[in-house]
Amino acid sequence: MAEVETTTVPLNRAAEEVSSPWRDAWRTLRKNRMAMLGLGIIVFFVAVALLAPVIARYPYDEGELLNRNKPPSAEHWFGTDYNGRDMFSRIVYGARISLWVGTSSVIGSIVVGSLLGLLAGFYGRWIDMLISRIFDIMLAFPSILLAIAIVAILGPSLRNALLAIAIINVPTFGRLIRSRVMSLKEEEFVMAAKALGMTDARIIFHHLLPNSLAPIIVTGTLCVATAIIEAAALGFLGLGAQPPEPEWGKMLSDAKEYIQKAPWTMIFPGISIMLTVLGFNLVGDGLRDAIDPRMKN
Amino acid sequence: MKKRVLSAAFSGMLALALALAGCSGSQQAAQPSDNQGGQPEQKQPQQPAETGKTGEKVLIYGRGGDTVSLDPATIDDGESARVTENIMETLVEYADGTMEIVPGLAEKWDIDPSGLKYTFHLRKGVKFHDGTDFNAEAVKFNFERWMDKNNPLHSPEGFAYYNDMFGGYKGDPDHVIKEVKVVDEYTVEFDLNRSQAPFLANLGMFPFAIASPKALQEQKEKFGEHPVGTGPFTFVEWQRNDHITIEKNPDYWNKDLPKLDKVVFKVIPDNSARLTALQSGEIDVMDGLNPEDAETVKANSDLQLMTRPPMNIGFLSFNVEKKPFDDKRVRQAIAYAVNKPALVEAFYSGLAMPAVNIMPPILLGYNDQIKDREFNLEKAKQLLAEAGYPDGFKTKFWAMPVPRPYIPNGQKMAEAMQQDFKKIGIETEIVTMDWATYLDKTKKGEQEMYLLGWNGDNGDPDNFIYVLLDKNNIGGGNRTRYANEEVHQLLLKAQTEVDPAKRSELYKKVQEILFDEVPVVPIAHAEPGIAAKASVKNYIPHPKGTEYLKKVDME
Repeated sequence: MAEVETTTVPLNRAAEEVSSPWRDAWRTLRKNRMAMLGLGIIVFFVAVALLAPVIARYPYDEGELLNRNKPPSAEHWFGTDYNGRDMFSRIVYGARISLWVGTSSVIGSIVVGSLLGLLAGFYGRWIDMLISRIFDIMLAFPSILLAIAIVAILGPSLRNALLAIAIINVPTFGRLIRSRVMSLKEEEFVMAAKALGMTDARIIFHHLLPNSLAPIIVTGTLCVATAIIEAAALGFLGLGAQPPEPEWGKMLSDAKEYIQKAPWTMIFPGISIMLTVLGFNLVGDGLRDAIDPRMKN
Repeated sequence: MKKRVLSAAFSGMLALALALAGCSGSQQAAQPSDNQGGQPEQKQPQQPAETGKTGEKVLIYGRGGDTVSLDPATIDDGESARVTENIMETLVEYADGTMEIVPGLAEKWDIDPSGLKYTFHLRKGVKFHDGTDFNAEAVKFNFERWMDKNNPLHSPEGFAYYNDMFGGYKGDPDHVIKEVKVVDEYTVEFDLNRSQAPFLANLGMFPFAIASPKALQEQKEKFGEHPVGTGPFTFVEWQRNDHITIEKNPDYWNKDLPKLDKVVFKVIPDNSARLTALQSGEIDVMDGLNPEDAETVKANSDLQLMTRPPMNIGFLSFNVEKKPFDDKRVRQAIAYAVNKPALVEAFYSGLAMPAVNIMPPILLGYNDQIKDREFNLEKAKQLLAEAGYPDGFKTKFWAMPVPRPYIPNGQKMAEAMQQDFKKIGIETEIVTMDWATYLDKTKKGEQEMYLLGWNGDNGDPDNFIYVLLDKNNIGGGNRTRYANEEVHQLLLKAQTEVDPAKRSELYKKVQEILFDEVPVVPIAHAEPGIAAKASVKNYIPHPKGTEYLKKVDME
């Protein structure tokens, strides 16, 4: 009996671990203080973005011109900008734009990148050759330059900036998945699936994709942070959001000529960008520690 | 080998650094010992920065760019003119601070009623800096050089301003000047092929300054580096991209002038750096002040802020061929929705005057009877409703990408107007592109609403209204594509009318029509800021963009 007991316990524990790796990861994540801080920041900004119409006390695109560049006061918590618009309202609505651009562009890159990566990794040969070379070419450009080029072709707008950011991040995910798939392909369970006569599609979507999710999530979270910065950079260069949209990067660039007279028009968007990016980076790092099996001791 | 050169250069630099460090301690003691060619020159710029001998009045003028050439006939840029017009003089001049014509090298003149003959009586006893006499022959010599393509001293590239102002060169169908005749030593007569209303005003422009015939013949194409004229100052030296020095002409025909002993034009490209130089006392006067810095200058009791009378216009306009801007009620509605005083306050830091007409007030024929529309959104809405757009409409609003003197920040100004347009139901999307494309596409009429402006150059109303709104200029300066036959006829008539009073009436009439039809909504006449030390006296900014410095003094 004693023998049976000793064997069942580890078996049970193993079963538990296999059945809920996500819960396990969450447990690890929760112990990571920095990651929780990051998560707190993200939740805060998401709440701000969702509740923007409730929180903002003024419309973000209307102001009194003669009430321009006024310092923070009880009436305008973050002061007013060069058009006399309430900075607080603009920051609050700006959260919507930044979060939307950050997440949706990354989701876009994940979908396209994963698909290409799966194809390249699974089929190999000329498909791999073609897709990988395209990735190589794209990665040969500094990413922000490539984004600028894409926006220059499509014309400056928030939608096109989002598209450009999604495009430049495709190879990151594509390569990640491709290498993952290449190693998974040699695993016994995939061999078994093939031997059982499963269709390629079923193998790809039921075995390879779910097994690649962990690195996608980690990289994706970190990528949201860079995407927000890239969107801000494009906005700063005048290639992203167009006036009067309250995009943080655009607000920064608009404020730069008033930096001495009205520093608050620069400080608040700057802090907002920094905090959201920090939030996503902290969570991303925490997730990597929690999910990546190689990081486990 | 290479290494040795490098180390030699390095030790040279070290020596220089040491020498300069020594300099700051005791002025003369540390004369650099090694005789590298560049060194004495390197030190040169510092010298003019010193106040000089006691009692010597040296004015150091900080400016954004260097001179192109000192031969005024060959140039068309203000930075060159700024220097040449103090060395060489024209037959007639502009009065201080206005475009009014006053005697220059010509003491007085008679105009034949036909407008085809101008007789100038020249000032006597005037000498060029090289000692030769200024007389009627010298005037003829200069005009022959400019107008005759076969003249040996005619520039191979031509004389751009002569060509533009006098309808080409000798033999061209539209050439204005038939002949320049020497009547006697101090009388010269101009016979014209056709009458030209701004003829006198044109003669006052800097390119038509009279140069010494002797120097022109001796220097030939080098004249641009060794200018010789009759002006209050003589040329001393020119170090490219650093400074030009001119000094008092002791034999100037007006014994009381100039007041200054020396003027140094120093190049400091960055506007803020130039202001810093002024604040630290390195320079005495600067132009090209950032509007945002106006407050800083005002607050500093050691400095004075001056504004240049405006000779420009910044405006909002439309493509009047496109709907709904073909309806004048829509254009009027928009004019009511532009808050000019607020825009001037916000985007020009107050260094501008709200504009009523398309030409600035200092020009002949400016109609000061027209009372501007006030900022009134209710009236705007009402007009839109009358035009059939009670709920407004959507359109694109083009804003220029670069700062211009007449609109310092197109994008932000467009954004500010966008807010007000939204209130009357006009939803605008701000469009922008690079500057060359912007100019090109607006010329082709691809825009709906757009911002633009104009800097005048000869102070003539024709230079504003005809260029910007005559139907002959559609596809050129008339980006609004405004075609009004009555305006066209009035403008053509004004072009040949010699009597200033009658001419003035014609332009006033045109402005009335334009005010009612609103092909453009004039926003502001920018008044560029000039900052100077409080000790600089009699510096009167001139609308043409550069000043005669002969009356300027220092305390």
